[in-house]
Amino acid sequence: MVGALRRLRQEGESYQGVWSWLTTVDHKRIGIMYGVTAFLFFLMGGIEALLLRIQLSSPNNAVLDPDQYNRIFTMHGTTMIFLVVMPLSAAFFNLLIPLMIGARDVAFPRLNAFSFWVFLGGGLFMNASFFTGGNILKGELGAPDAGWFGYAPLSLQSAGTGIDFWAFGLLILGVASMASGFNFIVTIFNMRAPGMTLLRMPLFVWMTLVTSFLIIFAMPIITVALFQLLFDRLYGANFFNFEAGGQPLLWQHMFWLFGHPEVYILILPAMGIVSEVLPTFSRKPLFGYPFVVISGLAIAFMSWGVWAHHMYTTGLGPIANSAFGVSTILIAVPTGIKIFNWLATLWGGAISLKTPLFFAVGFISMFVIGGLTGVIHSIVPSDYQQQDTYFVVAHLHQVLLGGAMFGLFAGIYYWFPKFTGRLLHEGWGQLHFWLMFIGFNITFQPMMILGLLGMPRRIYSYPEGAGWEWWNAVATVGALLIGVSILVFMFNVVLSLRRNDQAGPDPWDGRTLEWAIPSPPPAYNFREIPTVRARDDFWHQKYEEDETGRPVPIVGGGAQEPEEEEHAEGEGHGIHMPSPSFFPLIAAIGLPIIATGLIYDAAIVAVGVAVLVVGIYGWALEPASE
Amino acid sequence: MRRLVSVALLIALVGLLIGCAGADPDLDQNTFAPEGDVARMQRDILIVWVLGPAAVIFVVMQALLIYAVIRFRRKKGQELPRQVHGNNRLEYAWTIAPAILLLMLIVPTVAGVIELGRDAADDALRVRVVGQQFSWTFQYPDLTDAEGKPLTVFGLPGEVGKPSTGRPAELHIPVDREIGVTLESVDVIHSFWVPKLAGKLDVVPGRTNSMWFNATKIGSYSGQCAEFCGFQHADMRLIVVAESEEDFEAWVADQLEGGGAARSGAGEPALVSYGE
Ligand code: HEM
Ligand SMILES: [Cu+2]
Ligand SMILES: [Cu+2]
Repeated sequence: MVGALRRLRQEGESYQGVWSWLTTVDHKRIGIMYGVTAFLFFLMGGIEALLLRIQLSSPNNAVLDPDQYNRIFTMHGTTMIFLVVMPLSAAFFNLLIPLMIGARDVAFPRLNAFSFWVFLGGGLFMNASFFTGGNILKGELGAPDAGWFGYAPLSLQSAGTGIDFWAFGLLILGVASMASGFNFIVTIFNMRAPGMTLLRMPLFVWMTLVTSFLIIFAMPIITVALFQLLFDRLYGANFFNFEAGGQPLLWQHMFWLFGHPEVYILILPAMGIVSEVLPTFSRKPLFGYPFVVISGLAIAFMSWGVWAHHMYTTGLGPIANSAFGVSTILIAVPTGIKIFNWLATLWGGAISLKTPLFFAVGFISMFVIGGLTGVIHSIVPSDYQQQDTYFVVAHLHQVLLGGAMFGLFAGIYYWFPKFTGRLLHEGWGQLHFWLMFIGFNITFQPMMILGLLGMPRRIYSYPEGAGWEWWNAVATVGALLIGVSILVFMFNVVLSLRRNDQAGPDPWDGRTLEWAIPSPPPAYNFREIPTVRARDDFWHQKYEEDETGRPVPIVGGGAQEPEEEEHAEGEGHGIHMPSPSFFPLIAAIGLPIIATGLIYDAAIVAVGVAVLVVGIYGWALEPASE
Repeated sequence: MRRLVSVALLIALVGLLIGCAGADPDLDQNTFAPEGDVARMQRDILIVWVLGPAAVIFVVMQALLIYAVIRFRRKKGQELPRQVHGNNRLEYAWTIAPAILLLMLIVPTVAGVIELGRDAADDALRVRVVGQQFSWTFQYPDLTDAEGKPLTVFGLPGEVGKPSTGRPAELHIPVDREIGVTLESVDVIHSFWVPKLAGKLDVVPGRTNSMWFNATKIGSYSGQCAEFCGFQHADMRLIVVAESEEDFEAWVADQLEGGGAARSGAGEPALVSYGE
């Protein structure tokens, strides 16, 4: 075993370079690639957001023309949801799930690589649409222009290929999500270390499980809807075409039946992260663990029965509107349970005020507002005024930026040392937090007022005199501040990587298994698969409780030091890790080629199918590592 | 910091009031300054049932959060805290109490939906509204000229891909009289919205939605399309002119003299079929 370990470690060191990343099936590397890619898309979506805000900073502005504005807001929304928050969550699933459940990798490592490459391909494919509108240097954009929810029949009528790129792009991304959804469900059910019962799983693992189930049930719905849309657009089918008897509202039902579970796909991972960060930094276990788990399940379950709250004003009639109003009101109950338990986790703790905690508390603070505006939206008769105004824009950013992104940043600051071996700088981290927190509030809280003042969303301009000038100007200033905070974050990452402030295996006195192993973790994660005896197992390796319930350190408890490896005696067999493979990448490349062919020329489809088939066959026939 | 935010919110609320004072009356769309029964009811439900309680919950939750972080921050040399795992009584309390509060919201929700969803009164003035990229057409099926053609007001439809230049179509209505509108679209989904008079209702091709509203004060009220409908969505405006019964009658007579099709602005009319 010693020999095997040494070989693995040496391999780990020599195993570098671009090729090793292209062929990796290591969940940690895939996680890092997910994270970096999602962050780059975040910059892209952020630049789009700043362009929109600059256009709206004053009345009758002409920085963007209406056509550009419509395309950019469509890409902004689509990017932030499908190319930023979802993959950033996936980055954490990848990085953490095997470590938290005491496994060496996910159940299907190559499928995992496939998910990433498909996601990357889908994201690039969709953004390629920018170049299809003529000369992009002259500002002729070809991106989709029907909004992130692409309402038919506007999305049928839209000229050019933007919507086709959008729809095929989403279909490709759906493949990636489905594959990773199944992968993590199987991983969590089958790969847990001995003793890791379901009710001992860290909350982040629970939320990943719930999210994965939502993904595998929600994605098929939008897949069907997108195929219908593409059939209408490309082949003259009549699903949504009212002139031939199609149903425009069918699209909305399909989209939101996917779309509402989708918003919980976006928020549950962040909730899981916050449920890990708060206990560590308050140095207390999560308050009411079973209730936090059950409320997560309840939210997921109820999320299937509220979709028509996005359609209150479509004329569904009093019965449907009442029913969906009531179900939407009730979904706030499990949401509230989570918030109260987080608060109780902080209560009575010994809170160390580090950057991850700031972001986690910022998350709660902003999510409270988002939850409240959600309830405000659920009241049907008054929501007839708020629907499709800036009030909705405020709500969705409170939950997605103030909520999901703050939670994800908490996770980045918390686990960065685990995967790089280095701490992020505290001072710059807190500066990042405060700039982002203040910028966020200056940007999005005024939008509630704009909504109440009657400003509809998705307008490229507004006349002088409507009373909206001041708040729009304020919001733009806030957006620039958020932009600055992101620059601070990027600076912090670069600085911290160079500063080389060694984190050690357990910098925060963590509670879960990932802190028991070296930072960064070796390729095989655990030298020996741990046996789990309690919830927060690693904490219980370090502390026992006296009669009053106060923790007392256990002598010799704590994380494995990398040096110990040399002395470890194994059972006489090495650790088998899956071998690298480039077939997932090849298979993934096939999909955007097929989509390109379906838009432009059927001959290209054959090329794409050939690539896909080569990839899949190579993958299937590839010799196993042993 | 969060306290600052709540102060900022207060200031913002004050600003809301200032904001409406500063707005041009022809462009004002402030939902907090309603001039119709529907919008008034919507504002009152919003403030009394949700915004008020939400403000209280907001302040309490943020205060608890700030208090917890400050009060329980780690002090030098502090021992590890007691490892409290939970408390079932508290859990039940904060499940049931919010549930009861939330269930109360069903009352205004259902009552409001039913009241707003009822058919227009029998004596309501009927108006047929047709949405089209990017203009509105209004037809009064009961106000016909000598040949039986109904009075119709055409907006100026824009051309897709070109900024629209026309003045928005005017919907003349008598004050204090219920208006029953039916909504139709000839192309994509639009949404009919005059914020100071009533919340919006979508204009969906292939189906006819209907709603009622009124204006309780003489004046002109700005409205605009609220569902993204493409290139010139931002310019798909309308103006509701609420006038006294006599003025309205005079306007109708004036329009009908020149034939059923009145025009506010030049250009090709929307694709409305005339009469029944
Ligand atoms: C207490 C929980 C929540 C309730 C009661 C709630 C309720 C609502 C309602 C009624 C709407 C429709 C508003 C309208 O168009 O008139 C809405 C919109 C939206 N909500 Fe929530 N929400 C909640 C939490 C969340 C969460 C956690 C997320 C995502 C992380 C979310 C994301 C969104 C988004 C993205 C929209 C706007 C979609 C669009 O029109 O583009 N909401 N919410
Ligand atoms: Cu929803
Ligand atoms: Cu519109």
